[in-house]
Amino acid sequence: MYSVEVRPEVRSETEIGAAIARWRQWPHSSLSHHDEACCAVAREWVLAMDHAELHGGPALTGPGWLRRKHEWGPSSWPIHWCEAVERETLDCGALAALTHEIYRSRGARSFPTQLIQRYSAQNTDHWERRWREASTPVQWIDGSLIYHEACAVVLCGEEIGIWDPSACSWVRPDADDGYATTRALRVLTPDGGAPERFTWGSHCVVPGAWHTVERAGGNRV
Amino acid sequence: MRIYVSGLHSGTNPQPGIGIARSLRAAYPQATLVGVEYSSRSSGIHWTDFDEIWLQRPWGELSLPGYLGQIRELLDDGALWLCGLDLEIMLLTGELGGHPRLLVPSSEAMNAIAKPAVPAHRGLPVEIPPFLSTEHPDWDLHAFCRRRGWRVWLKGPYYEARRVYSWPAFNAARQELSRTWATERLFLQAHASGYEETVALSAYRGELLGCVRMRKRDMTEESKTWAGDVSEVAPEFSEPLRRIVRDLEWTGGAELEMVRDLEGGLWLIEWNPRFPAWIHGSTLAGTNLVGALVEAATGEPARRTEAVSREFSRVVLEVPVRPGFPLPSHPEPRAGAFGHSLKHPSGLSVLAERLHGSTELVGENARKAAGNGRPASRRNGKHRGVPGVPTSFLEDLQAQDPGELQTPAWLFFERTAAELFARAAAEAQRLGSGPTRVVNAYSIKTNPDSRLLGEARRAGFLAEAISLLEVQKALSVGYRPEEVVLNGPGKWWPSGELPSEPLHAVFCDSVADLERVVAAARRNGPPAQRVGVRLRTPHVASRFGIPIDRPEAFAALVEGIGLLPEEIPFGIHFHMASSNIGVDRWWHLYDSMLRWCAAIERVTRRRVECLDLGGGWFPDDWEGGFDGRLEEATLRAREALPHVDQILFEPGKALAQPTMALAMRVLEVHRSHGEVEDAVVDGSIAELAVHYLQPHRILHRDRRSGQWKPLARGSARLLGRLCMEDDIVATDVDLPGDVDAGDVLVICDAGGYDRSMSYVFGRG
Repeated sequence: MYSVEVRPEVRSETEIGAAIARWRQWPHSSLSHHDEACCAVAREWVLAMDHAELHGGPALTGPGWLRRKHEWGPSSWPIHWCEAVERETLDCGALAALTHEIYRSRGARSFPTQLIQRYSAQNTDHWERRWREASTPVQWIDGSLIYHEACAVVLCGEEIGIWDPSACSWVRPDADDGYATTRALRVLTPDGGAPERFTWGSHCVVPGAWHTVERAGGNRV
Repeated sequence: MRIYVSGLHSGTNPQPGIGIARSLRAAYPQATLVGVEYSSRSSGIHWTDFDEIWLQRPWGELSLPGYLGQIRELLDDGALWLCGLDLEIMLLTGELGGHPRLLVPSSEAMNAIAKPAVPAHRGLPVEIPPFLSTEHPDWDLHAFCRRRGWRVWLKGPYYEARRVYSWPAFNAARQELSRTWATERLFLQAHASGYEETVALSAYRGELLGCVRMRKRDMTEESKTWAGDVSEVAPEFSEPLRRIVRDLEWTGGAELEMVRDLEGGLWLIEWNPRFPAWIHGSTLAGTNLVGALVEAATGEPARRTEAVSREFSRVVLEVPVRPGFPLPSHPEPRAGAFGHSLKHPSGLSVLAERLHGSTELVGENARKAAGNGRPASRRNGKHRGVPGVPTSFLEDLQAQDPGELQTPAWLFFERTAAELFARAAAEAQRLGSGPTRVVNAYSIKTNPDSRLLGEARRAGFLAEAISLLEVQKALSVGYRPEEVVLNGPGKWWPSGELPSEPLHAVFCDSVADLERVVAAARRNGPPAQRVGVRLRTPHVASRFGIPIDRPEAFAALVEGIGLLPEEIPFGIHFHMASSNIGVDRWWHLYDSMLRWCAAIERVTRRRVECLDLGGGWFPDDWEGGFDGRLEEATLRAREALPHVDQILFEPGKALAQPTMALAMRVLEVHRSHGEVEDAVVDGSIAELAVHYLQPHRILHRDRRSGQWKPLARGSARLLGRLCMEDDIVATDVDLPGDVDAGDVLVICDAGGYDRSMSYVFGRG
């Protein structure tokens, strides 16, 4: 029988701190380019396809079509553009890298974002086995915590939303405890041009710095 | 304390009674809760929070005056009544409104929240999605749907909505909802895309007792709440809401159903006059709106509700059947048919008809409260909605002698055609005044009538053909090969008919077609002055053109274009019927295509010099110039494709459709109770092959005055002459009472595919 154990008890902040320390040096993922027609054609296809998929909707609409095209799963790196469009399965880093390029081509202000999320040990055990079977690294898993990648986009002024292209939804800034919640994040600004701070829900996030999401009780009142 | 609660059904589209009862139980553990129902099929009668069940006969059987008297006695004895059914509220507030124990809004308040305009919304930071009553002519309803990309809903007067994605789908949904709710007063409303959220409130005599916001986090297939989060209502919403509640002197619960679009705008879909089915989710979050209402009405303090969670979810539970209420017999499956007819077992749709006042004596107030209803049935007479008809149609008809017509007869509206082609030519000239030439091309397949081709040629149109036979047809009316565009998947058929001189342009429908053209060009020289490709529209199903929605297909296209000799100018064509996908979606498709064209230019390094736009535009949309969008489109094409020197527009249907009509004679008239039910005519669907795809305006010639009059929507059918079940030329037509055999009817707007796809049938 499948069961998900979500313990509401307080997790020590040191555990989050240790995870941040573990992943502090990790760069965000980005796609490689062969500097040849194969990658140029693939890149043009992605961006034109995104424009078609947008159906004239707002530029900040999450590009959910990527997840309809690609399964989420283990991916070997590096990944070139021409490979990315052909692969059935992409991991969160590849999906986030594509999403970042898409948002930029739409004219949105987009920033690669790293997340530390909490799942159940049953989930992370399963993922670890799956990634090992695919001969791909498992260092993104640490107990019930995982390293994850997404994309922050400026909604208005300093306010950002974080699109999770793997989950195909906006990350909830108000879910701070429990299963599938974000415990820490870092918004990277490799191209500069970012404000001194972002606001994400009630959180103040300094670009380039890890921000721990303090527990406020989750959905309990 | 004795509280009656109605609306108990608990399914995937639940009524609020159980949620109300749970919240009442939390606030008043000792209260006697009586569940009110009108069908023993309602699952909520078995819910344990109800101490008693007051099961009435279905609405179709109830004596309304007697039932209202019973309720009044209960209220006079001190019981409270909380309604969970909109129609019951309309009935009760109309007849018992103002009773201090009846916790429902007044008739005036009900009118202020009537769908779809919801007049009471003014002051709230919301907008109402555009809507149109179905009492308008079909012509206008079709335009409404087109202009909103066929992303529209057809909604019943009180409940139910159907997604409408085409004209046939609209007609089917209209028939179903009109029959269910016994009214023609339905309405179309534009779809609002976004996240669904609602505000639930509780008020007593104009005082807002509390309100909460709930965002749907999971939904059923019918978009009903399955999980949600509850939070405070922002002051910018709650403050105007407080004023509105005060102005309406609102009593009872309410729910404002909204959609928050992706840019944050709020669209108000409905204002329901009762608590929502998820109301206990608010209680779990610490705000017991039901308890607050009873406390305000009785003065008895409600037990304070302990907040448990600001998020809730539904689950499916099996509960024991209440003693004394065994499950009713299951209806026998309908012989030879699918399923059982179990919808609305309590007869709500019958109550709607009775509230309209057509069959039952209930007070005027109840009828007013049921404002969306109207004496409805098709039997009862005529409806509004006489379509407007262009003056040129009537002028063209004056040139006809109805007595001489050998019906069924196709009428060519010469003046109309001349005007339309001349205007299109002038528009092209105006748009093409810059560095890029804008040229019209007449799509021969739309209607190959030589008179139309002649008009097109005189107006400077190119001819667009999809076969070599059509090329020959164009040449036969005087076109030169260099004035013909060749398109389509079978364009080289039949062999041997290709002129020796190059055509104006050829667009390849597949990579294989492109390779064949390239090979032929190398052997014999190019078949056209321009060679291009037709792109298949991504996301809009089409069998035509070269697919681009897969990376490998796009790469194959890029490779194929690379084969084309550099000296042949390159072009791109796309076609999708605007009338089918809607105006806005077509323009987005156009933008998207420019994006693809620019991408192709970059990766192939071939300049796009010719852009061919097939439209399938509806005449009214084309005639209006799309409110300046054509001009904007040409500007955007020049921006995206700086080397484009020719833009081709293909307004086939837009020009052909209004230029022909089918005249037919009435053969006999069928009447029932003095009303015209059907008329058999000598026309048929063999002449009007695709009549069901769009509305047609119908003119009747008055025998006395000789004047042509457009027919409104009514209840009669025009039955074709063929001995075929589906030969129904038109439905819901308001034929004059004195219509008789020999009368002439003219079906307008039939000059497009109706004419060109008509076939010979039933003529021996």
